[in-house]
Amino acid sequence: MTDLTPVQRERWHEERTRYSRPGFLIQMAALAALVVIPLIFPSFRVMDVVAKIMIFTIVVASYDLILGYTGLLSLGHSMFFGIGAYSLALVIYHAPQPCWYHFLVAAGVALSLSVALALIIAFFSLRVKAIFFAMMTLALAEFTDILAVQWYDLTRAEDGVSFKLPGIFNLGWSGPTLGGIEINGRLMTYYFILVVSVILFVMMVRFIRSPVGRVLKAIRDNEPRATALGYKTFRYQVFSIVFGSSIASLGGILFATWLRYVSPGSTLSTPIMLNILLMVIIGGLGTLYGSIIGAAFIKMTETWLPDLQQAAETVFPNMVILHRLAERWILYFGVLFILVVFFFPRGFVGTAREMIRRRKAIARKRS
Amino acid sequence: MAADTGLAVSAGRGGFDARRWGAWIVSVGIWFIPLLWIDVITYMTLTIAGLTMGALLFLTASGLTLIFGLMDVLNLAHGAFFVWGAYAGFSLLNYLNTLGWVEMASLGQSMGSLVLTLLTALVVGGLLGILLEKIIIQRTYGNHLKQILITMGAALVMTEIIKVFWGPNDEVILVPAAFKDSWDLVDIVVNKFRGVAIVVGVAVFAAIQLVLQRTRLGITVRAGVENREIVQVMGYNIERIFTGVFAAGAALAAMGGVMFAIFKEQIYPGMGDETLIFALIVVIIGGMGSVAGSFLGALMVGLAFNYVAFLVPKLALGVNIMIMAVILLIRPSGLMGRK
Amino acid sequence: MSEPTLSLKDVHTYIGQHHILQGVSLDVNAGRATVLVGRNGAGKSTTLRTIMGLYPVRSGSITLDGEAIQNRKPFHIARLGIGFVPEDHAVLTTLTVEENLRLAMFKESEDGWRRMESIFRLFPDLKRFLHSKAGVLSGGQKQMLAISLALVLDHRIVLIDEPSKGLAPVVVEHLGKSLNQIKDTTTVVLVEQNFYLASQVGQDYFILDDGRVAHHGLMEDLVNDHALKRKYLGIG
Repeated sequence: MTDLTPVQRERWHEERTRYSRPGFLIQMAALAALVVIPLIFPSFRVMDVVAKIMIFTIVVASYDLILGYTGLLSLGHSMFFGIGAYSLALVIYHAPQPCWYHFLVAAGVALSLSVALALIIAFFSLRVKAIFFAMMTLALAEFTDILAVQWYDLTRAEDGVSFKLPGIFNLGWSGPTLGGIEINGRLMTYYFILVVSVILFVMMVRFIRSPVGRVLKAIRDNEPRATALGYKTFRYQVFSIVFGSSIASLGGILFATWLRYVSPGSTLSTPIMLNILLMVIIGGLGTLYGSIIGAAFIKMTETWLPDLQQAAETVFPNMVILHRLAERWILYFGVLFILVVFFFPRGFVGTAREMIRRRKAIARKRS
Repeated sequence: MAADTGLAVSAGRGGFDARRWGAWIVSVGIWFIPLLWIDVITYMTLTIAGLTMGALLFLTASGLTLIFGLMDVLNLAHGAFFVWGAYAGFSLLNYLNTLGWVEMASLGQSMGSLVLTLLTALVVGGLLGILLEKIIIQRTYGNHLKQILITMGAALVMTEIIKVFWGPNDEVILVPAAFKDSWDLVDIVVNKFRGVAIVVGVAVFAAIQLVLQRTRLGITVRAGVENREIVQVMGYNIERIFTGVFAAGAALAAMGGVMFAIFKEQIYPGMGDETLIFALIVVIIGGMGSVAGSFLGALMVGLAFNYVAFLVPKLALGVNIMIMAVILLIRPSGLMGRK
Repeated sequence: MSEPTLSLKDVHTYIGQHHILQGVSLDVNAGRATVLVGRNGAGKSTTLRTIMGLYPVRSGSITLDGEAIQNRKPFHIARLGIGFVPEDHAVLTTLTVEENLRLAMFKESEDGWRRMESIFRLFPDLKRFLHSKAGVLSGGQKQMLAISLALVLDHRIVLIDEPSKGLAPVVVEHLGKSLNQIKDTTTVVLVEQNFYLASQVGQDYFILDDGRVAHHGLMEDLVNDHALKRKYLGIG
């Protein structure tokens, strides 16, 4: 024991306690819950919210890789998300018959497009100033949005693209009934999304714990020092942008798989980008797990707000301004967003970690 | 290097700057290439449309670039001022129309209502600018990430409030009668309002340059763009100057908004976002902090957009991104940006 | 000795997380040239910038002729009569020399132009380059312009941060002479690494070490106190 270096001792401790830490147990419990939820609540609404939470967790976590772990503000993450969603939608829509290999084609198209775009953006904008990165990504994202709206022949513009999925994902498919629960296409899609999301999330967690991830954190915290230590910061930043953007496009494929419908408004538009930003900030920048909290909070609010709106309309039937106010739920997101950025900049997980750290520090002082 | 007199300094420095000249050749040459495919009369019409768009874009971009240069703030709420200006003007024109000053107006009345509309937009934009700067922006100086996020949120809130008051749909904005018809210059049809827009754009550019180059206030602002600290320790209240410039930029954007609305004869809440993108491209092309650069950039973007929209409609937006990319490759800090 | 013009009492300043000034107390007497010396990172520049309000004072007090000025805005402190020459020959390179000076004059005034004339007598180069951009000046000329910017107004005190930094020895020599003329008419607080220049100009000295005043007294005593110089300045 005594001849171990502090780092080795830390690792050894980590290895030994990996499966008994509360964190691990919580993770397992959450996973079990995700598996069981559609069986306990067979209503579409619950399944829909949970699936969207999983998908957006992936997208937000991949965004966190860029913003939280390299400090680069990309305003084009919705573009990568949309690229993924449109890849799947358009491949299936323009093919005569939905097939399994379409998923592979879509993934291939989405990944190569997003890697190429991410590289181009990085090479153009990182050369000058970090703020250019924000401007460039914003310009490109808006451009993609307008392109999708205008190129009717390819994208069906604002009508969006509806399509059918092959085999057991098809809504028409229904399997055996097990213990009173009907196994149908919707349920199979849910589990597909669950499996892929978990794999992608674990990949991202592994990524930030890898040596590359550690260097990224070092660059974020002190770029001159990381450069002075001999790390090629540019290369690492590019790597994280490409990696994060690719995962976002895969998240887009999951989104298209779940909805079976893609439109510019639901994937490429600025409000989606703002949603992603809001989720990452509510969850906590640079925490990765915060993305779960952020996605869950926003998606649940989004689902329950319309109920509130209807309630407002039935209680005050004659006040037009009030109805309009109730309709504008994006307005509240905007206000919430500003408030969170001002007063809660560390987000949920960041603040929680800070509190735990403080408590531990106090406990250490006492002992 | 000087922000606004780039050429003079480069000449004074001596030597041949190939990159700078390359950028200039590209930026001038682009104006004539379309003649290969377009006949002269159409070309002239498109050019005038492009100059109009450029002049209107400049109104928005000039504020953006000054705010960035002076305050180091990337203000993504700038497009929201644009929309607010447009809607304020829309309401005023509707009101003036009930007095018979718009659709049935004489030349004098048309002029009067246009001037009133522009003034209203300026005032609305300026007031909103002061509010936003005092309440929100002032708390975020020095923190780029926070600024971008906050201004993005503010843009969203401001656009949503528009939808609450005026509804979310497209509306037709009334055009004062005297500006509805056009002049006929040797087969080239020039809509009168386009002429007005170009004149206003050039006048605003001249006025900004005059103020920046010749007045004490202008010297202070230019000094602030370069080094805030020196200006502060000389006894200038830089925060008040910030608020002033921010309000002026917002006012110009609002005026640009109402003019753009009259130019297009329609308004919708999303017009701010689209213009913001154009303005950002203009600012990147021209160099952040340079008013002259954004004037040039705005004209380039306006012209390129119109030529390409005529030739290959689907590429119209893409061409501006391409110009931006090319200029960034040659001169990463933009046409007239500081290194 | 008269009442101190500028007085710092137990001033603490943080930059970010770092506790830079850890209780600086010093008095600057009217009509004297006071020099702050000490090692790199001792807090000399931070002291000047704290006086100017460029860094917030966490605790302690700063008074100018008895009036508390801590935590006022920089422009306010400047208007109360403290001129500041920042580090690294800070001039506005995109403006002409004349524009620089006119900006510093704040309001056009007879008095300002008269002072301008005396500045040109002090630094004739500035008159020669009046209409050139300040960016084309040499390092020494820029420093002279930077100092002039603080002299255009009749300040009660002028704070000068490391004027000799990055200048050739012969230029420093010239600068020393100019500073000696300036101190005859103005109260000067000088932060200086170059001990030769500091000893030429300074009358009172304060040695800063680790964010505190370690020693102070008359410059002529410090020049001869080799033990003290070795301990705090690494020279002698």
